[in-house]
Amino acid sequence: MLIRQLKQFPRALSHFSTVAEPAQVKLEHFRTNESTVSSQGSQHIGRFYRIPLEERKQLFTHGGLPKSFEKQAKTFGEVCVMVREPAVEIIDYIKSSDLSRPVNRFVLHGDDGCGKSLTLAHVLHYGLQNEFVLVHVPWVPNWFKRPKETANSSTHEGFIDLPFDSAAWLIHFKTQNANLLPKLNLKTTKDYVWSKRETTPAGSTLLELIEHGINRVKFASDAITALLSELKQHSTDGKCKVMVGIDGYNAFFHDKTRILTENKAKVTPDKVTLTKPFLDITNYDWTNGVCILAVDRIALTEERMESSLPRYQLGKEGFEHCDPFIPIKVENYSEEEFENCIAYYLDRRWIQNVTEGFDNELKHLSAKNPYNLMSVCAPL
Amino acid sequence: MTSLLNGVRRTNSLIPLLKQMKITFSTETVQAAPLAVNTQKVSKAMKAYLERAQEHDNFMKAQTIEFQIGKRHLANIMGADPENFTQEDIDEAIEYLFPSGLFDKKARPMMKAPEEIFPSRKAAEFDETGRPFHSMFYTGKPNFFQLLHNIVAEIRKAQYIEDKMIQRGRLPAETDRLDMTGFAWLSKTDLEKILVETISDLEYNNFLNTMNRLAAQPAAFKCREFALQYAKPLIDQSKISEIPKPQFDENGKQFITTYECLRKTARADVTIRFPGTGKVTINKDHDITYFKHVQSREQVLFPMIFINQLGKFDVEANVEGGGVSGQAGAIRWGIAMGLRSFVDSDVIEDMRVAGLLTRDYRRRERKKPGQEGARRKYTWKKR
Repeated sequence: MLIRQLKQFPRALSHFSTVAEPAQVKLEHFRTNESTVSSQGSQHIGRFYRIPLEERKQLFTHGGLPKSFEKQAKTFGEVCVMVREPAVEIIDYIKSSDLSRPVNRFVLHGDDGCGKSLTLAHVLHYGLQNEFVLVHVPWVPNWFKRPKETANSSTHEGFIDLPFDSAAWLIHFKTQNANLLPKLNLKTTKDYVWSKRETTPAGSTLLELIEHGINRVKFASDAITALLSELKQHSTDGKCKVMVGIDGYNAFFHDKTRILTENKAKVTPDKVTLTKPFLDITNYDWTNGVCILAVDRIALTEERMESSLPRYQLGKEGFEHCDPFIPIKVENYSEEEFENCIAYYLDRRWIQNVTEGFDNELKHLSAKNPYNLMSVCAPL
Repeated sequence: MTSLLNGVRRTNSLIPLLKQMKITFSTETVQAAPLAVNTQKVSKAMKAYLERAQEHDNFMKAQTIEFQIGKRHLANIMGADPENFTQEDIDEAIEYLFPSGLFDKKARPMMKAPEEIFPSRKAAEFDETGRPFHSMFYTGKPNFFQLLHNIVAEIRKAQYIEDKMIQRGRLPAETDRLDMTGFAWLSKTDLEKILVETISDLEYNNFLNTMNRLAAQPAAFKCREFALQYAKPLIDQSKISEIPKPQFDENGKQFITTYECLRKTARADVTIRFPGTGKVTINKDHDITYFKHVQSREQVLFPMIFINQLGKFDVEANVEGGGVSGQAGAIRWGIAMGLRSFVDSDVIEDMRVAGLLTRDYRRRERKKPGQEGARRKYTWKKR
């Protein structure tokens, strides 16, 4: 009765809202309070940590978390990521590596739904907290499979520009590095002449360069090229450190895209202006940086989905481009991780109909694959 | 006077015959004594019956002769010995000479002995004077009601045995029960064939209820022979009893392989290993995510869930052909068959009742001309 009366006053009811409050009373065994990624270690593996709202907004407003995961996180009222072996391993490597050496490339690989993208997100969170300039592409195939608009490049003969996608990426870059860029105050090293009237002179800040790309969509692709080469230059000079995170990286080396030219000819990825700068920045010829590249079966088309191993996914050309790299395999949940995940779902009331042995059945139905588990649990 | 006496004697002599009828209901036509016919004391009903019987007998005789001649002709056509030409040879010859693609086997050409083709008829139920033999003649279904009486008599017998047991101070044990597992009561059509009477659904239901009452008696073991006359074995019992013994692999694990697991057009062979961790391997390099849909995965896991042993067995399956549900069904059957070697007979019986051990022979139904699919008709349009 009281509730019914309260319903007439939504503001009063919001006080009793069911949205999860931060767990302050007692921490459940499957959670950890450690939201500073660099202090997470092997003792935290299998536990969930909450990404603070501010950092989440900065990192993932324009993509970065898998869509289904994001939906689920919205339902749960919090973004909790499990601390897992591959992410901890990469962060350990980054911490112990000498950044003055040529960049280390980490290639994430694994079966569908194992958590490659979330591992990448986890490492990006580390990058954000440790003042890396983030060069993050949420999902490369978006550019090649469903581009917003295509245009012939004005600067490179025979190349295709993706003006809107490029501008969107610039906004993404700007958001992710909103705190860092003004602080570092990086300047362009040379003049960029866009047209007769428009130039970005040497000595203007990188923000101005980005702003120009966003405002003049026509030059967004070229702005990215300029931006990435500037970043490479600055990090090699030791003015900043850069973390490159690219999901679906193998799409750059695939032999087809859905982009058509004006005379309806298919375009290969190497004829898209965006490809070159991102391949450049994943090259080994610069320092003070780190590259995390996720290769994914579904980044390619159906005829290239036989194996999820890097050699097959990247192809000969891509493999040689990345070589030498550190392969990191993302596996299905371990026994402990699986139990924690079930405990977390129970805590979030995501699983409500509990009968005896339900977890055992779920384990075998999903084969402990994180994505499968998520989808199997969805109707429960 | 003599005819009357004669009639009385006949009825007397029929009493043991009636007792016989309790078990086998006679279907032969009865020839009335020629004496009675000659003396014209025959009732109208008997006369009509005799005429009909005569007609039927003649017809059957003609049919039999025709069949014999036809058989000999057929044997000659096929170049076989007409004396030793069996029914199997006939079927083979017919299939060869009149090949038919008709779907329903009953619609294909056939040649059989007339007794098999024409339904049997009831024997005379009354004597020449029109007196019915059977006390329940006027129920219209004497055989059926006689059967009900017989069942009740059996129930009495079982109760008598039970009483005796209790008097002797022994309660009926579980073994004294009537064990009807693996058997089902006759279907309505089968029962009608035995009774040579048509019965209604209600009457059939009464039969079932009475039979179940008999089966529920605590000391009905002596009624088994009677009950089995009206029951049919569910499946070939011998096949079920042949449960292979598990073999041992190089790691000392028990394993069993089931070949020829089929469902729709899918074919699989399934190996299960014990003890295991619940790992499912399909076509060497896939796990259970080989099946994209949860339903198919549940199909595969169901036998293990059913016997409450999920996670105790490893499953390796090779499957080809068919679609998703067919493949999952084939693997399910293979797992269930393999699991028989690891569980006790009660569980096997449960699995059988749950239908896990039954082969599903259903196939895709063909599309019919003039229709959109197997059953669906085209949308009706006025013109």
